[in-house]
Amino acid sequence: MTKPIIEVKNLAKNFGDNQVLKDISEQVDTGQVIVVIGPSGSGKSTFLRCLNLLETPTSGEVDFDGQDLTTLDTKKVNTLREQMGMVFQNFNLFPNMTVLENIKLAPMKVKGISDTDATKRAHELLKQVNLDDHADAFPTSLSGGQAQRVAIARALAMDPKVMLFDEPTSALDPEMVGEVLNVMQDLAQQGMTMVVVTHEMGFAKSVADRVWFMADGYIQENNTPEAFFSNPQTERAQDFLSKILM
Amino acid sequence: MKNKLIMAIALVMALVAGWAATTTTAQAATDNSLAKVQKKGTLIMGTSPDYPPYEFQATVHGKSQVVGMDVAVGKKIAKDLGVKLVVKSMSFDSLLVALQTGKVDMVISGMNPTPARRKNVDFTHTYYQGGYSIVINKNDKGIYKDKDSFVGKTIGAQTGSTMYNESKKQTSGTTVKGMTSVSDLILGLQSHKLQGVAMEKPSAQAYVSNNKELAMIPSHFDLSASDTSASVAFAKGSTSLVAAANKSVDQIRKQDLVNKDYLPAAGKYLKTNTVNTSMLHYWKAFLKGIEYTLIITVCSVFFGFILGVLLSLARMAQGGVFATALRWLATAYVEFIRGTPMMVQVMFVYFGLGLIVNLPALMSGIIAISLNSGAYIAEYIRGGINSVDKGQTEAARSLGMTSGYTMRYVVLPQALKNIWPSLGNEFITLIKDSSIVSIIGVSELIFQSNIVRSDTYRGVAPIAVIMVLYFIMTFTASRILNHFERKMQHD
Repeated sequence: MTKPIIEVKNLAKNFGDNQVLKDISEQVDTGQVIVVIGPSGSGKSTFLRCLNLLETPTSGEVDFDGQDLTTLDTKKVNTLREQMGMVFQNFNLFPNMTVLENIKLAPMKVKGISDTDATKRAHELLKQVNLDDHADAFPTSLSGGQAQRVAIARALAMDPKVMLFDEPTSALDPEMVGEVLNVMQDLAQQGMTMVVVTHEMGFAKSVADRVWFMADGYIQENNTPEAFFSNPQTERAQDFLSKILM
Repeated sequence: MKNKLIMAIALVMALVAGWAATTTTAQAATDNSLAKVQKKGTLIMGTSPDYPPYEFQATVHGKSQVVGMDVAVGKKIAKDLGVKLVVKSMSFDSLLVALQTGKVDMVISGMNPTPARRKNVDFTHTYYQGGYSIVINKNDKGIYKDKDSFVGKTIGAQTGSTMYNESKKQTSGTTVKGMTSVSDLILGLQSHKLQGVAMEKPSAQAYVSNNKELAMIPSHFDLSASDTSASVAFAKGSTSLVAAANKSVDQIRKQDLVNKDYLPAAGKYLKTNTVNTSMLHYWKAFLKGIEYTLIITVCSVFFGFILGVLLSLARMAQGGVFATALRWLATAYVEFIRGTPMMVQVMFVYFGLGLIVNLPALMSGIIAISLNSGAYIAEYIRGGINSVDKGQTEAARSLGMTSGYTMRYVVLPQALKNIWPSLGNEFITLIKDSSIVSIIGVSELIFQSNIVRSDTYRGVAPIAVIMVLYFIMTFTASRILNHFERKMQHD
């Protein structure tokens, strides 16, 4: 593994009096797939959203590619955000645009890529997520699984260095989870650096390089999936695993 | 944006203070009023053209214009000064304000030089000595003899006129009802809301000779000469202009031009007016009304929308003292505009701002309605923006888009779709509410219908016509808006 692409130092986040993240220091190396698991309300999503500054950390550092995001001005943050794609639980596709327009919007407006080039790239990405025949559809006509794959393609269109996934399959019907996870697995195999918040333990076991177990505002365990699932170290993790894996 | 808002507020304050001052204090000591008029080459005469035979609308060579004995007087004065006469129509109530704010150079509108008016404006010598009569329904002839016969009844007079004040003073047990236009008063008489209408004798004669349902009786008001005489009004302190006009007025009196020339000529126009009183004959007047109504509405919605977007963004500004100030100012603006009547705003822009910049009536109307509409549209847009899911913003921002791009390409298009029905509603409301600018003399549909009413002496038919015309406009507009609403639906 090479140098860390993301390094978090003493990260804390409060919402009013509620301290959601207490003190987190971890790092993500280029090419790694990190799966963050843990009980509901443990701050997993907040942690992920602090990585691209959708939430502003209360204290601590988020270093991306050697730069501390928390000290940068808005303009620089925008530029660095381009390099961190994010996929949301509720897809958040733009309902007033077609699938193709959803994918083309940011490359054209932010990067100034020409319509022709953006369209070409969008079709490539749609092929990659197996949805090229839906290019002209509007998001409301897509199934959840299709919508999430479009959302992944949209994030990839900015050629990010890192992809953040915030419970990408939680809002899907069970039969659609597989198609999304397959796309994510392909992406991991191509060497994409990924941080995935999920409840899909199967995915964690088979795809993750490291599993971070999060509870009570701390990363309680950071281990390989084999070690974590067979031999959890903390009582908190043992308790969690006993509840979900019979 | 912030600076502009501060300036606007300072301007409003200055105007409020200035208005009170200018109406009472005399003009500057050096009087260059005559030189000014001669320099610009035009003499602008303000009048309320619903008072035949003094002044009224007639179709001359296919074009509607203001004619009557007062216009003849105005022409004579202008000719003697060697300048061109321009006639500006507005409601009688607005005339003196227009004179004081420099919208017009003089007022000739059968106006009596009462002591109260003399405090605010300067009058020439009297050009015509009239008297009051009361117009009644012909069927009531014999019931009413003079002003004292109306005990327990209602008589009407034009608001702001001497007849109105005298009717109040010199009758007892009689209700005096004021209305802005004489056509409305006659309509009130014919629909038995009023039993009599007090007006100048020549006007009464004109109505009676053109409408067989009406009759006139003497008023027997006890009047001073100043109450029954008509004079030309100029702005306070314009001594040189008054002196010049007095020469013309004296000639008019000496040669008895009013009775010899002006009144007979006015009578001829009145006859041509009543030859054909079918509404179809006046289609041009109505068309012009529709044209102006649409111009005002479309322009106001356009500028109101731009203003609304800016205001709504200002109301949602976040972070810093600057943003807080901006938010506060935008909120104050919206509250203030929503809390004051549009009619007052229209008058304020036309007369109030008129003290600083001389805006034409149409432009004043568009500005006032845009400012008003902007406040309402801002609230719709704010609601629309709040109705867009926060995830949309997050998705756009996570793709590296700036907050500006996010607003422009992602949030606003969706907000617009959500608020389209409200915006459409605002548009349709404005088609109707634009009628308010008729008070400053913009020839939109209501104004035009009033002209047709006083032209034809028909009270109801023009109202029915514009009702249908308004409905056609609003219905067409709502069909068009629905079409676009359907186009925006993707689900």
